[in-house]
Amino acid sequence: MNRRSFLSWGSAGVVALGSGVGVSLGAVVRFLMPSVFYEPPQVFKVGTPADFAFGAPTFLVDEKIFVFRDREKGFAVASAVCTHLGCTVAYFQSDQRFHCPCHGSVFASNGSVVHGPAPKALQWYEVTLARDGQLRVDKDKVVPSSYRLMV
Amino acid sequence: MNLIREIYQSIVRRDPLSTDKGKSELVFLNVWLHIHPAKVKKENLKFKHTFYLGFITFFLFVILVTTGIALMFYYRPYPPHAYQDMKDLQFVVFMGPFLRGMHRWAAHGMVVCVFLHMCRVFYTGSYKKPRQFNWVVGVFLLLLTLGLSFTGYLLPWDQLAFWAITVGTNIGSYAPLVGGKLREILLGGHTVGEAALLRFYVLHVAILPSLVILLTVVHFWRVRKDGGLSRPIWKLKTNKPEQLVTIGVPPQTAPAQVVAASQEKTYGLMEVVTGKPIFETVDPEEEDDAVFSYPFAFFREGIALMATVTGIMAISLFFHAPLEELANPAKTPNPAKAPWYFLGLQELVSHSALLGGVVAPTLMVLALLAIPYFDRNPSRRPSERKWAIWLFTLFVVANLVLIVIGTFFRGPGWAFVPPWVHVVAGAE
Repeated sequence: MNRRSFLSWGSAGVVALGSGVGVSLGAVVRFLMPSVFYEPPQVFKVGTPADFAFGAPTFLVDEKIFVFRDREKGFAVASAVCTHLGCTVAYFQSDQRFHCPCHGSVFASNGSVVHGPAPKALQWYEVTLARDGQLRVDKDKVVPSSYRLMV
Repeated sequence: MNLIREIYQSIVRRDPLSTDKGKSELVFLNVWLHIHPAKVKKENLKFKHTFYLGFITFFLFVILVTTGIALMFYYRPYPPHAYQDMKDLQFVVFMGPFLRGMHRWAAHGMVVCVFLHMCRVFYTGSYKKPRQFNWVVGVFLLLLTLGLSFTGYLLPWDQLAFWAITVGTNIGSYAPLVGGKLREILLGGHTVGEAALLRFYVLHVAILPSLVILLTVVHFWRVRKDGGLSRPIWKLKTNKPEQLVTIGVPPQTAPAQVVAASQEKTYGLMEVVTGKPIFETVDPEEEDDAVFSYPFAFFREGIALMATVTGIMAISLFFHAPLEELANPAKTPNPAKAPWYFLGLQELVSHSALLGGVVAPTLMVLALLAIPYFDRNPSRRPSERKWAIWLFTLFVVANLVLIVIGTFFRGPGWAFVPPWVHVVAGAE
């Protein structure tokens, strides 16, 4: 084997080995990424408009959302997940603000940060009326806090 | 009778322990003991030089592996069952609370001892040449210890576990670019759920312990190769040149000959094993200080092992590992606190998630890793490395203060509440 063929075979070998290792590592990462999430759906129905009272928002435990109903403005749905580290915030009717128990973030009733470490406002989700007359929330569709559904 | 003797001698092939040769052979003919030198310097064995923190950490790890395997017989890493199994361990399984207690307290103890061990190594300057890389290995062992604690924290699947991990993994998601994906891979989902529990379990019982064992082997091997336990330099006797005796001969010169060594001295054996100090000049005073590992070192290690095991057992008899109510994703406890060793981090995070949760800890780890390469000062004497000692002490104190604040001074809503103020309203 002369120098030229040694180098060309050698470099081909290094490239083959390198790409083999690279592909394997990629495969490992892809293996660790779940192909299916066995998690609650992002789009779900929460009941008929009549189920919700005016005034104080209704907190839906499993969906982690607040459903606001206002006599003039209609329905709005806010996320109960703190934008800081994912704790569940609580709404206090007394000061009309959201309070996070973990690190003390406080959000105004429109979701904006009043103080605390939270970097962003609480998210508001699109709420629509489904054909069967139920309210349908889509967590994949983030809307401005001014969004309202009139029923 | 002859057959019995023959069998015994086929297993134990060393000379009797009453002889020096037997004492040496006990060490280097035995696969488990041969990490020791045949002889050690008596000075190095003194408790107050190392506080045996490395040994104790290792023994705690052994306790953790043993009790952990026992707990695995009664634990299913699946959401509703996991918590039921904890309840079974608490009330049904024979010695369940005791085993769980031992596992929990040994885990806390390991975090503490690993940290104290690091402090001891720093303050004695033992990370300096040629031990720089072993310090790096040690830093990774510290990180693995924290990783084991963190993954183990989720397994009981109670409120404490669920929210500590929710907060903890959300901290990670602040890492730029990869953060979100990293969290998704770690949890196997977008929230802490059944996939997360299974992943944490696999990490906790298989992957992380294997890595710890791997690095521990390297760590011990290097300690041994670098001349054994590193005592404080100010305990080293100063060389008096006129008394030096050359042992062995330089490589070029022909047959090796041991100078001024009595027939009973067997350091030849240990020196050949390390391969290093064979051409070293040794202070005769120091040389006289060397004792056989058997029984001197083994006895002390045995005492440290006994003390560690009985200590953990005693604590576990009187204090049981806590278990809160079943994990409830809907109800965040107030305040939601991470495990105590992460409360310093949580305190930082309460000020800024990116700076406190990602930037500060990353810099801290990088700084720790860089210490042996950044610190060019060859001296190990405290009086000659004031800056290093001040900086490291600052690092230790800052961490402790943050942990104390996070643990004792934070009440509902992470408000600053001194521990002597009894919080009544809104605590639940």
